[in-house]
Amino acid sequence: MKSAPLVAVIQFPGSNCEYETARAVRSSGMDSCIYRWNQWRELRDSQPDAYVLPGGFSFQDRIRAGAVAAKERIMDLVFSEAADGKPVLGICNGAQILVESGMVPGWEKGRIETALAANHISGRSGYLSGWIFLHTTTRAQQICPWLGMTGNGVIPLPIAHAEGRFVFSEENHYRAESSAALKYCDEKGIESSDYPINPNGSFLNLAGVMNEYGNVLAMMPHPERAFWMWQLPPWIPGEWGDRRDESLSSGSHAAAKGPGSVFFMSLADYFRGER
Amino acid sequence: MNLRDELKEAIRHRSLAMTLEEAEKLAGYVGRMPTPLELHLFDTMWSEHCSYKSSRSLLKLLPTHAASVVVGPGEDAGIVKFTDHDGYSWDLVVAHESHNHPSQVLPVEGAATGIGGIVRDVYCMGARVTGSLDLLRFGDPLGNSGEKTRAICRGVVEGIWKYGNALGVPNLGGDTRFHEGYDDNCLVNVVSLGFVRHDRIVHSFVPAEAHEEQYVLILVGKPTDDTGFGGATFASADLEDESEKGAVQVADPFLKRVLSEANQNVLDFLFERGIKFGFKDLGAGGIACVTSELAAHGNLGIEVNLDLVPVSIPDLPSEVIACAETQERYGLAVPKRISAEVLDIYNEKYEMPRLFPGAGATVIGTFTAEPFYRVLHCGREVANTPVEYITEGLIYDRDWEPSPTPVIEPDFRPCDPPEDLKKMLLSLDGASRSPVWSYYDSEVQGSTHFRPGEADACLTVPIPGCRAGLAVSGDGNPWFGELDPFLAGAHAVGEAVRNVVATGATPIAATDCLNYGNPEKADVFWQFRRGVEGIAAACMELGLEGEDPLPIVSGNVSFYNQSSQGGAIPPSPIVAVFGRIDDFTKSTDISLKTPGNLVILVGDRMDELGGSLYYRTCIDHRGGRVPAFRGKLEREMARFVLECCEAGKSKAVHDISDGGMILAAAEMAIASRPDARRGILFNTDELNPVLLYSETPGYLIEMSQESWDAIENKPEFLSIAGIVSDEFSIAAPGWKMDLREILEDHASRLDRIIWREEITE
Repeated sequence: MKSAPLVAVIQFPGSNCEYETARAVRSSGMDSCIYRWNQWRELRDSQPDAYVLPGGFSFQDRIRAGAVAAKERIMDLVFSEAADGKPVLGICNGAQILVESGMVPGWEKGRIETALAANHISGRSGYLSGWIFLHTTTRAQQICPWLGMTGNGVIPLPIAHAEGRFVFSEENHYRAESSAALKYCDEKGIESSDYPINPNGSFLNLAGVMNEYGNVLAMMPHPERAFWMWQLPPWIPGEWGDRRDESLSSGSHAAAKGPGSVFFMSLADYFRGER
Repeated sequence: MNLRDELKEAIRHRSLAMTLEEAEKLAGYVGRMPTPLELHLFDTMWSEHCSYKSSRSLLKLLPTHAASVVVGPGEDAGIVKFTDHDGYSWDLVVAHESHNHPSQVLPVEGAATGIGGIVRDVYCMGARVTGSLDLLRFGDPLGNSGEKTRAICRGVVEGIWKYGNALGVPNLGGDTRFHEGYDDNCLVNVVSLGFVRHDRIVHSFVPAEAHEEQYVLILVGKPTDDTGFGGATFASADLEDESEKGAVQVADPFLKRVLSEANQNVLDFLFERGIKFGFKDLGAGGIACVTSELAAHGNLGIEVNLDLVPVSIPDLPSEVIACAETQERYGLAVPKRISAEVLDIYNEKYEMPRLFPGAGATVIGTFTAEPFYRVLHCGREVANTPVEYITEGLIYDRDWEPSPTPVIEPDFRPCDPPEDLKKMLLSLDGASRSPVWSYYDSEVQGSTHFRPGEADACLTVPIPGCRAGLAVSGDGNPWFGELDPFLAGAHAVGEAVRNVVATGATPIAATDCLNYGNPEKADVFWQFRRGVEGIAAACMELGLEGEDPLPIVSGNVSFYNQSSQGGAIPPSPIVAVFGRIDDFTKSTDISLKTPGNLVILVGDRMDELGGSLYYRTCIDHRGGRVPAFRGKLEREMARFVLECCEAGKSKAVHDISDGGMILAAAEMAIASRPDARRGILFNTDELNPVLLYSETPGYLIEMSQESWDAIENKPEFLSIAGIVSDEFSIAAPGWKMDLREILEDHASRLDRIIWREEITE
C-alpha cells in the first residue's frame, strides 16, 4: 500500500494552473504528480487514487472550451477510472473538459448533457475574475469525496473564466437539481440569480456540478487559489473574513489554511476513511 | 545609376527609416551596394527602437549600479538579488517596454503582443515569469475623439486579458490614465517580472565554449510569416495613419504557454548536463537580429540557411523571412552533439508540430570562427557582413531647446469638501479601476497576496514556502508632465516608491519607459532630457538599501509618439519600482480597520496644486505650481513608514497622490470590509483646499493611540489628521460626505463610459 494517496494532476497543452493545484494537493497530506497529456501510459502504470484536471485554456479553447482535451486519449483512462468510482475533480477549464466528456452530470453514459456557456447576465458579460461566495448542497456533502468537510457555511472563492454558465436542455431541467453540488450565494448564504451574486447567469446558480455517485465534481471557482488564508482579499466579509483577521493578529497568517483547502482536505479525509 | 542614387531609391521603395548617410555608411562597411536583407537588418539595428541613437548619451545619467544588481541594462532584462531560500539564491528578473504605435493602430493585437514580447525578455534569462503590469494612457473618452478612444481602451484591455490570462501570468496591476494629449497616440507600457535561481541565469550570446566545439543555432516556435516586417522601423517614426497594420505582429498565448513549458524542460536538461548555451527571444528584426546578436556578442560568426526556416507562407523574399517579427519564437545556441536531443524535447515530448501547424524546433545555422554574418537562401548568398558592425550602434546628439510652461495659478479656489470629493471620486482619474481589473486574472499561479486596489502596490509571494514578498507599482503623471517635465520624472519614481513602501516593502530596483514625441524636435528633446534628469535625481535620493541609489536595471525609450498632425503626447516618463518585504505577513493594505484608531498624516501639505485632480475636476484649471520634489524628506518619510510597518504599528497605509488627503481617506474607507464599514473623521473644520486637496507627497497611516504614543521623538513631518469612525463616511466638524451615496457610481463609472458607452455628458 502506498504511504499516501496519489493524486494525478493532468497537464494539457494550454493548462496553466497545474503547479499550484499540485501544491495544494501536497499541502493536504497527499502525493501529487503532474502528467503531460501524452503520458497516458505513465499515468496508467502509476495507478493514481484520484485525478484533478486543472484550470487553463487547454488546446486554446478551440471549438469550445474543453472540447478538444475531452477527446484526448488520456481522457479515456480518466473516464474509465471515474466509472470505477475514483474521485475526479475538474477546476475551471478542467470542469469544462469534464462537461465536454459527458462525465458530469453523466445521467446517460457518454452523453453530453450540460454545457458551460459564455458568461451572460444583466450587468456583465465576457471574461470575469473576482471573488464569489458559494455553499454546498446537503446531498453533495454526503456523497462527494471532495466536499465531505465543507459543512453548511459560506465559502469565498475566486473565479476567473469567460464560459462558466451551466446550461441544460429544457427536458433535463427537472433533474439538474439532483446533480447540484455548489451554488453561488451572497456572503450570508442567501442564493440569488442576480449579478454579482450569480456572476455568470448559471442555471440554478450552479457553481459546481457532480455525477450521480458524487465522485466526479466539475467546479468553476478555483479552490487552489484560496488554499491559504493569505490568498484571501483583505475585504472578505463574514466568517472567513474574521478568521483571516484572527490569523493576522495571532501571527499564524502564513500557515493558516483558507476556504479552498477544504476541498483537498476533504479528499484526504475520504481516503483516511477508506483505509 | 550610381551607388548614392541606388541607395536613395532603395530607401524610398523599401520605405526604410535610415538616412542616406546611414545607408552610405552601410555600403562602406560591405564595400558594395548592400543586399535587401542587409538594408533591412541594419535599418532595424540602427532604428531608434533598437539603437537608442538619440537617447543613449542621456541615459548614462541614470544610476544603474548597486550592490544588489546582478545584470544591469543591456541584456533582454535586468536582474537583481532577491532572497535566499532552501540553500539557493533567487534573483528577480524585470523588463519594461512600450507597445504604443501598434496598440493605437490595432488595439487588441498591439496590446497582446506587448505582453507577448516583454514576457519573452524575462523567460529568455532563464526565469519563470510570475507577473506583469500594464501602464495605460488613453485619450479623453468623453472628448472629441471619445468614440475612438473608448474603442481603443476596450481593445487594449481585451488584448491584455486574452493574452495574459491564457499564458497564465498574473496581472499585478499598473495604472490607467486619461488625457486628451493621448487622443492620437495611446500608450501601452508593459512590465514583466520573474524569478530565476542565481546559478541558472541564462545569457543571450553564444558561450565561449563555441570557440572549442561546434555550436549550432536552433530556431524554435511559430513558423515564420510576414507579420511585423519593419516593426521596429514603424515604432521609430511619427504615426502617419492606420495603413501600417502590416507592421503589427499577431500573438499566440497558447503556443507561448506550451513553448514556455518546453523551454523550461530544455533549460533544465542543459543545466543538469552542465552544458553551456545561449538563449535569446526573437523580437525586433526577427531571425536576422537574433542570429547576428547571438554570434556577435560571443565574438563568433554565423552562417544561417533560410531554406531551413519553417514558413507558413510560401515564396517569401529573403529579407522578409530574415526580418519579419513573427511572434512566439526563440533562438538557442547549443553544441551540435546534443542538438538532436533538444529538438526531441520540443518536437516529440511537447509535440509542438502536432499542436500548431508548422511549429517546432529546427537547426537553421552554424556558428563559425571567422567573424562574418552570412545568410544563404535558395543557393545564393543574401547577406555577408562583418559581425562587429551589426552590434556597433549609432549615437546622435540631438538639439534641445527649453520650452517651460508658464506658471498660471487660479485666483479663486472654492472649497466644498463633500461636493469636491464627490466630483473627484466620479472623475475619470478618480473613479475605481475595478472595471478594468475585472478582466485580468491576478491570481493564477496561486502566489498573489494583494490584488490591484487592495493595497498601494500589488504583492506576490513568488517562491513557495518562502516568506519573502515582492511588491510592485508603476506610475507616471501626465498632468505633471505637461507642466514640468523634470518633476514628472522625479515624481514618477517618487510615487512608485511610496506605493511600494506603503505596503511595507523596501524598494530594490526600478525600470523606466520614457514616452515622448519626436526627438528631432528641439522642444521635445528638452522634455526628454528633463525627464531623464528628474528620474536620475529621484533615484539618487530614494535608494533605501544602504547607501546605494535606487538602480534602474532595465527600460525602454519610446519616441515619435506624435501624430502626423504634429501633436506630441504630454511628456510621459513612466517608472516601475520593485520592493522586497522579508515577511509578507507584516505587509499593510489600505483598508480602514478599527474605529477609534488614529489617522496619522505623514508629510505637511504645501500650496502646490498644479495639475491636481482638484484643479482639473472642481475648478476646471490646470494650474502651474507642481509639487516640488523633496528627496531628503521623501527618504525620511519612507524610512518612517517602513519602521512602523516592521514594528507592526500601522494597520493601514495609503499614499497621498491624486485628489490629495481627502481622496486618499475616501479610498481607505471604500476598501474596508462591506460587513464592517469604516470612515474617517478629520479633526479640523478648516475649509482649506491646500490641506484637503494638495498632492504634496505623503501618506495616511491608521494606528492605535498606544502605537502613536510609543513613538519616541516624533519627526516634525507627522501630525494627527483624524480618527477612524464606524460610519461609512468622510467627515469633519461642519461637513460630512456619506460614501454610500456614490459607492456604486464610483465602482461602475469606467464600465459605464468605456464598455457600455453610457455617455451622459
